[in-house]
Amino acid sequence: MEIDFKKEARKQYLHFFRFWFIIVGILLVVTVFAVIGKSMMRTERERHNSQSPTERVFDYAEVLTDQQENELRELIAEKEAQIGCDLVLVTMRQPVEGSEAKETYNYRYTSWELNMQDIADDFYDNNAYGYNAPHGDGALILDNWYEDQEGTHLSTSGRVFERFGNYDIDAALSWVDRYIESDPQKAYSACINYIADRMSGHSGDIGTSILMLAAIVPLIVAGVFVGTHLRSKQGKKTTTATTYIVGGKPVMNQQRDDFVRKHVSQRRIQTSSSSGGGRGGAHVSSGGHTHGGGSHRR
Amino acid sequence: MVFKCKNCGGNSVYSPEKKMMYCPFCDSEKSEERQHEHAQMQLCPNCGGEVTYTEHTSALQCPYCDHYIILDERVEGAYAPGRIIPFKMGKESVKALIREKFKKCTFAPTDFLSEVRLNTMTGEYIPFWMYNYHTRCQFQGEGVKRRVWVAGNVEYTESSYYQVVRDMSIDFEGIPADASVKMPDGIMDLLEPYNYAELVPFQPEYMSGFLGEKYNMAAEMIENRAHAKMESSAASMLQQSISGYSSLTPANRSITAPNPGTEFDLLPVWIYRYTYKDKEYPFYVNGQTGKIIGTTPISAAKVWAYGATLWACLTAIIAMIGCMVM
Repeated sequence: MEIDFKKEARKQYLHFFRFWFIIVGILLVVTVFAVIGKSMMRTERERHNSQSPTERVFDYAEVLTDQQENELRELIAEKEAQIGCDLVLVTMRQPVEGSEAKETYNYRYTSWELNMQDIADDFYDNNAYGYNAPHGDGALILDNWYEDQEGTHLSTSGRVFERFGNYDIDAALSWVDRYIESDPQKAYSACINYIADRMSGHSGDIGTSILMLAAIVPLIVAGVFVGTHLRSKQGKKTTTATTYIVGGKPVMNQQRDDFVRKHVSQRRIQTSSSSGGGRGGAHVSSGGHTHGGGSHRR
Repeated sequence: MVFKCKNCGGNSVYSPEKKMMYCPFCDSEKSEERQHEHAQMQLCPNCGGEVTYTEHTSALQCPYCDHYIILDERVEGAYAPGRIIPFKMGKESVKALIREKFKKCTFAPTDFLSEVRLNTMTGEYIPFWMYNYHTRCQFQGEGVKRRVWVAGNVEYTESSYYQVVRDMSIDFEGIPADASVKMPDGIMDLLEPYNYAELVPFQPEYMSGFLGEKYNMAAEMIENRAHAKMESSAASMLQQSISGYSSLTPANRSITAPNPGTEFDLLPVWIYRYTYKDKEYPFYVNGQTGKIIGTTPISAAKVWAYGATLWACLTAIIAMIGCMVM
C-alpha cells in the first residue's frame, strides 16, 4: 500500500507541474535556437559612408600616449564593426564658459554645457560621421581638460540617439567619471564598451537586472505559493445573531430617540501648494542635424 | 437492543439515503425486528463476543460481527432523548464532500483522501442540550450625530445630542450546547447550525448503524455556554437597533433572562480521524448539512518538493528569457 501511495504522490506531482514542465521544455528549445541564431547573426556590418575621415581618436588635450591612442583606435574599430555605429573620441583643453570664451572662440552661448554640446555636435557633423551615412549612426565623446572647466559631453546621433535615453547617457558618462583621474584610457574604453554593449543588446545593467530577477522573483513566488497553501482554516462560523431567535427578529417594546440639544463648532483650513519639472536630451545642432546627449562636469 | 432483519437475520441499520431501515445483507427494507437485552450487557447479543464501552456510550458496533448494538438503559427513562435529527448524509456522500473540499490542499499527505482512510469514518449521534430563553434587553444613553461641511476656508461641525431609549424582548429557541465530554466545544459550535425543522421524535431505529452517547453532564452544568451565545446575540440585536449615531455613551444597559427551558436531543456528526506522523487530525462533518470542520495535515516532503520545483521552473524561465533578450 505504501508503494501505491508513493506512486500516487508522483502522479499528483507530475500532474500539478505538467504545464510548468511543458513551458520550460518549449522555452529551452526556443532559447537554444535563439542563441544559435544570434551567434550566426553576429557578423560584421558593412559601412556605407566614405565621406568621413578614418581617424576616430583626436587627442588635442594630449592626455594619451601614442600606444594608448592606438589601443583605443583598435577597440573602436572592433566595436564599430560589431554595432554598425561610428564611435569618435575627442579630447581638448579649451575654455568653453563665460563671455570671454564666447567672444574668443565665437561660441553661441556662455554656458559650459551648451557650448560643449555645440562643439561635440559640430565636430560630428562637420566631419560627416555616421556608419550608415554622413550624419548617421554614431556617438562622439568630447572630454575637456581645461582647468576648472573639466567635464565630458556625449553626443549621440541616428540609432544611438534613438536608443540612448537620459539613463544610458548618464551611465556612459559615469564610466568616464569613475576612471578619468587615474587612467584616462580606461575611462574612455569603459565608456566605449558601455555604448557598444547597449547598442548590441548586451547590457551590464540588463544582465544584472535579469540576474536579480532570477534570484529574487522565484524565491518570492515560491514563498507565496507555499505560504498560501500552508494556510489551512479549521472552518468558519455560519451562525448569525438571529439564528436562534424565534421569528428571526426581536420584539421592540420601546424605541425612542429624543432630541436634546445642538452645538456648532468651526476651524480654519490651512492650504499649501507645490510644483515640479523635468528635462530632455534631444536637440537640433547648428548644422541642422538631430542629436541627443548630455554632460557630466567634473 | 439490536435490530435484526426478519428475512436473513442480518443487522438492519438506518439508511440516510433511503430514509428508512434497511438490511445491507439482503437489501430488505423495513424488515427490522427489535431484540432486547436488558441485563448490563457485556456480550454482543448477536455473536456473543465481549464488547467494551465507556460510561456514556449508548450505541456501539461489535468489533467481531460488526452488528450495531443500542444500549436500552441509555436511551430510555432519564436518558431518553426528546428528539433526534436523523443522519441525512450517508458515508458515501460525506466522502465525496470531503474529497471536493480538500482536493486543492496540495500539501496534504497523499493517502489523506484515499478510500482506505476515508472508510474509517464513523457516524455518531452527539447528545445536545437545547436551551430556550425569554430575554429582555434594555438600553438608555446619549447619542451624538455629527455633520461636517466646508464654507470658504472654514470647516463647520454640527453636533446634535439625543436621548436614546430601547426596550426589546427576544425569544431564543434551541440554542445548542453539546453534552459530550469527548467532543471539543469549539468544534461543535462551528458545526452549527442544524435545521431544526427536521427534528423528529426519538426512535431507537435511527441509531442502528451509528454510534451514540447519552448526555455526559446535566443541563445546568453547561448552561453557561448557551447563555454566552444568547447574550452575544442579544447584544448584537441591541447594537443593530441603535444606528445613525457618530458616538454613543450608555448610561444604563442590561440583558436579562430567567432560567431557560431545556430539551435533550441527538444531532448527527460524521467523524474522520486521520493520523499522520503520530498526530491525530480529526474532521467533523455535520450529518445533516454536510458542513466540514477540520484542519488538514501538511506533508513537509511535499512542501519542499513543490516549493523547490516551482522555484527551479521560474528561475529557469527567467534565465532563458534573459538569454534570449541579451
